Amino acid sequence: MFKSFCLILVLSLAFSITAQAADDIAGYVKTVKGEASILRGKTLIPAQINQKISTSDVLKTGADSSLGVTLRDDTMIALGSNSEVVISEFDYSPAEGKMGLFTKLLKGCVEFASGIIGKLAPEKVKFSTPVGDIGLRGTRFAVLIAEP
Amino acid sequence: MGSIIIRLILALCITAFLGACSAKKSIIVLMPDPDGKTGAIEIRNQGGSQKLDAPNQATEVQSSQTAPDPPRILTEAEAQKLFGEVMAAMPPAPVHYTLYFLTDSTRLTEMSTRTFEEALASIGKINPAVISVVGHTDRVGDRAQNFRLGLERANQVKQMFSQRGIDSQIVETTSHGEDNPLIKTPDEVAEPRNRRVEIIVR
Repeated sequence: MFKSFCLILVLSLAFSITAQAADDIAGYVKTVKGEASILRGKTLIPAQINQKISTSDVLKTGADSSLGVTLRDDTMIALGSNSEVVISEFDYSPAEGKMGLFTKLLKGCVEFASGIIGKLAPEKVKFSTPVGDIGLRGTRFAVLIAEP
Repeated sequence: MGSIIIRLILALCITAFLGACSAKKSIIVLMPDPDGKTGAIEIRNQGGSQKLDAPNQATEVQSSQTAPDPPRILTEAEAQKLFGEVMAAMPPAPVHYTLYFLTDSTRLTEMSTRTFEEALASIGKINPAVISVVGHTDRVGDRAQNFRLGLERANQVKQMFSQRGIDSQIVETTSHGEDNPLIKTPDEVAEPRNRRVEIIVR
């Protein structure tokens, strides 16, 4: 009796954790070259094609490496070598009027092509870098941050 | 003594060749979209701001306290040297298909039946992480009703995929109801082109 109760408890916890993770999936890894990883909390996970990315994951690349991701609204982001990017906010529920994307380039270089949020609500797309913030009108740009 | 100098010279040479993702000054460049159109961006920091609105216009920025430099055009060669590796890492664009339904029916139009087959073929070729199926409606009817109708249509298409062997685990259905129209119309106006299901293969 107690055993089945424990089992049910563990199973419902497992399901609720999965459901939570599914809710904040921002996108997927689509290209990987060399040393590319995802820092989730304190865990460093090697990036793999089709892997899910959540908000707050830090996308990281080492030397001679690159990483490309596609977000759920078709925004595409590519990282070059020695780069770090965080998607700190991603909301894509047009039916509920909820849309927002906040990308932070922490170091290195990146190419950014905005997707549907950039078309429907460009003011809700925020992009910050160590040298300034970038506001956009549905566009594609690249940024290289010089080593200090 | 001699060998230390040689090692230093080697290290400097290697650094000089390291064009990819490294430069003396941070630089931001506006690139044209794949369809040829170029948007605009504005870089803003504590020192000031700079707008870029022509393709390959770039601005260099010394620090977050100094205003971005006036724009200049980045040559093809410079762009390739600084961003070639990054551009090569961009994912392939997601592939979109739109399916239309016969009025008041869950059957596809004849043209859409063919589109569905094309979608299946490209799913076979790409290795998608996810297949997004999004139901849309026009603005006839109330918003909540249309949200449900959109979801019904999306689930219908998911069924069709499942019947053709596509793993349901990677098919996500959502509804944008009347909120993401192809053709903007006033409320309560019928528009068949908005009554659709969009399939996005990522």
